[in-house]
Amino acid sequence: MAAALLAGCWFRAAAAALFLGCYRAALASGVQDQAEQFFRSGHTNNWAVLVCTSRFWFNYRHVANTLSVYRSVKRLGIPDSHIVLMLADDMACNPRNPKPATVFSHKNMELNVYGDDVEVDYRSYEVTVENFLRVLTGRIPPSTPRSKRLLSDDRSNILIYMTGHGGNGFLKFQDSEEITNVELADAFEQMWQKRRYNELLFIIDTCQGASMYERFYSPNIMALASSQVGEDSLSHQPDLGIGVHLMDRYTFYVLEFLEEIHPASQTNMNDLFQVCPKSLCVSTPGHRTDLFQRDPQSVLITDFFGSVRKVEITTEAISLDRDLAGFESKLPKDELATEPLKYAEQLPVAQIIHQKPKQKDWHPPGGFILGLWALIIMVFFRTYGIKHMKHIF
Amino acid sequence: MAAPLVLVLLAAVTVRAALYRSSLAAFISERVEVASPLNAWKRVVEGLALLDLGVSPYSGAVFHETPLMIYLFHFLIEYAELVFMITDVLTAIALYLAIQDFNKVVFKKQKLLIELDKYAPDVAELIRTPMEMHYIPLKVALFYLLNPYTVLSCVAKSTCAINNTVIAFFILATIKGSAFLSAVFLALATYQSLYPLTLFAPALLYLLQRQFIPIKPKSKSFWLYTVQYAALYLCSLVVIICLSFFLLNSWDFIPSVYGFILSVPDLTPNIGLFWYFFAEMFEHFSLFFVCVFQINVFFYTIPLAIKLKEHPVFFMFVQITIISIFKSYPTVGDIALYMAFLPVWSHLYRFLRNIFILSCVLVVCSFLFPVLWHLWIYAGSANSNFYYAITLTFNVGQILLISDYFYAFLRREYYLTHGLHLTRQDGTEAMLVLK
Repeated sequence: MAAALLAGCWFRAAAAALFLGCYRAALASGVQDQAEQFFRSGHTNNWAVLVCTSRFWFNYRHVANTLSVYRSVKRLGIPDSHIVLMLADDMACNPRNPKPATVFSHKNMELNVYGDDVEVDYRSYEVTVENFLRVLTGRIPPSTPRSKRLLSDDRSNILIYMTGHGGNGFLKFQDSEEITNVELADAFEQMWQKRRYNELLFIIDTCQGASMYERFYSPNIMALASSQVGEDSLSHQPDLGIGVHLMDRYTFYVLEFLEEIHPASQTNMNDLFQVCPKSLCVSTPGHRTDLFQRDPQSVLITDFFGSVRKVEITTEAISLDRDLAGFESKLPKDELATEPLKYAEQLPVAQIIHQKPKQKDWHPPGGFILGLWALIIMVFFRTYGIKHMKHIF
Repeated sequence: MAAPLVLVLLAAVTVRAALYRSSLAAFISERVEVASPLNAWKRVVEGLALLDLGVSPYSGAVFHETPLMIYLFHFLIEYAELVFMITDVLTAIALYLAIQDFNKVVFKKQKLLIELDKYAPDVAELIRTPMEMHYIPLKVALFYLLNPYTVLSCVAKSTCAINNTVIAFFILATIKGSAFLSAVFLALATYQSLYPLTLFAPALLYLLQRQFIPIKPKSKSFWLYTVQYAALYLCSLVVIICLSFFLLNSWDFIPSVYGFILSVPDLTPNIGLFWYFFAEMFEHFSLFFVCVFQINVFFYTIPLAIKLKEHPVFFMFVQITIISIFKSYPTVGDIALYMAFLPVWSHLYRFLRNIFILSCVLVVCSFLFPVLWHLWIYAGSANSNFYYAITLTFNVGQILLISDYFYAFLRREYYLTHGLHLTRQDGTEAMLVLK
């Protein structure tokens, strides 16, 4: 024991020495680099937007899908204040639910994904395309409560999960309206331009889900879908007691996968891509990583599904003064280099206000007037005879 | 007769002026029953505004008036209300004079037929006397001016009123016997809204009758006169269209006006039959059905010409009614025009069979139009089917009206020549049936 302790002490000392050596060897760049890496890359907070777009009792499985992802995401650390949960219908308290206040993901009632502490932010008829897009882009009326806002910044990793009925290029909301893949891509671009995300993971579980991520063009987006264009996503299994299908296959296997994850897991995205192969899912799940800057191998599941704070313990003191000075001296120069655009220069309001458009009145051409009146006079004299001319002249 | 007419005119002008000053004017001009895309005042103002901005008013599908209307309103746009009141007054005066002349003609013809012993002995009660015919022109003017439809159409400043004026002048010219003026006014009416083309046949028949030219295909004078009249009409039409070209130096107005009337692209609900069908139809059938619907308007001319060749003015009345029921964008202004003629046939009253039902239908439907519109558009508890049901019922009522009058007219003619108490070969009483 003492030997072990001694060995540990010695080991620690040796490590410290090694570390010191490394530090000295690396000089200014080593830990400074790492420190800079620590501050420059990666995310600092996590958000999740989970949307179920279908209503009616027979779409129980879509609510169960969304609630299972909600459950995983909450279990892995994202607090309710950072989750925007949109459910288009209430299955737990639906009069047709034989087990009220529960939503099961598996038959035999193994897992109640409803739980005791669900916080639904957008419920029932509030789940509309307009509200969804407003949540994403942040163009929300000032009276919206905080729980209904996506208050992400440029260091947020956002998980967006959508499920419901969809088709090639669209997703149906509430059986009455649709969101198209173009709209979604534009919303994400708006988010990028407003610096509302650092990285975005988009998961969709609908029929022909891959069509929804085809049009994305903003950087740092990774997308997964449950089926390719032309394929239907199938549901898992019905529960004869409840009477409807409880979950969709893709999300069922994703939930199974996520149940194995804990906040310290090092599982990466490539494992998520392998979830639900065609043999289990019948449809072919797809993914898109070309817009994503990092290698999926290096992206942890908990980067999106959990709220893992990046903490690095170091016993070394890191001198920030030089960096700070360098940072400060860098900043004003950068600002001076780009001229701030004044509002008046962007939009020449003065010019527009004080200049009235020149009113050019239209007049009928002389030839027309002449022709018309000549005709009228001809008709008049043809009818009433030339003898009336003497009354005029 | 001038004094009562002036009184009626004053009353009508007062009613219209009062309504112009009230708040109802804006509400009425928005109603789809009164303003159609062809003759809404809003569109005239829009077209003239576009012209002031240097853009052709026919670009875009907003303005569907003819260039002559552009010319007319360019100078008169500030006095629009006055213009529409004057057009209504002119229409009433034209109808008054026309019916006065027509009554004289009818009476003369009747006298001739009595002297020639063409009438059966027991039809004394069917013979018309000058006494009963004395007030008919005034009634016609009254019916036109104080008809709620006309008032609504005038207050909405719908250019349908100007169309009615031109048709009224055409009828006046025809009844006075001037082929030249009649052709000119008919050309103007056709130029403005295409459908009065079908009035060529009754006008021709009337003028032939007036010239005592028998209507036989073999007769040379018949063909000569027909060709003369047709040539006058076509030449005036061509001259007017070419003149319109010179207003804006473009032929843009032809697809905007005539293309619009014929191809019915705008499916805003109105009191006609086109909008609902074409809103529901699949694209590949729409051409076929557009042709069918448009032929329906022109189709009745030839059979009616054959049946009513002795009575061209009645033929004209039936034709105007058919135009206002089956045209692509009817409004209540068109209805007002043919309703003005109803007093002329008031002697047919004893033969009308459905007059109670159809007057109830017409009145009730007129009241239900705004109700169902409100329920559909504002309350959201009805849908287009409800409004279309009222449209259908209204048009069925109108068709019933015209067929009733048609039957009554023919029945009276039959009774005149065959006697009131018809008997079959074996002596029992017979019924007259329209086959």
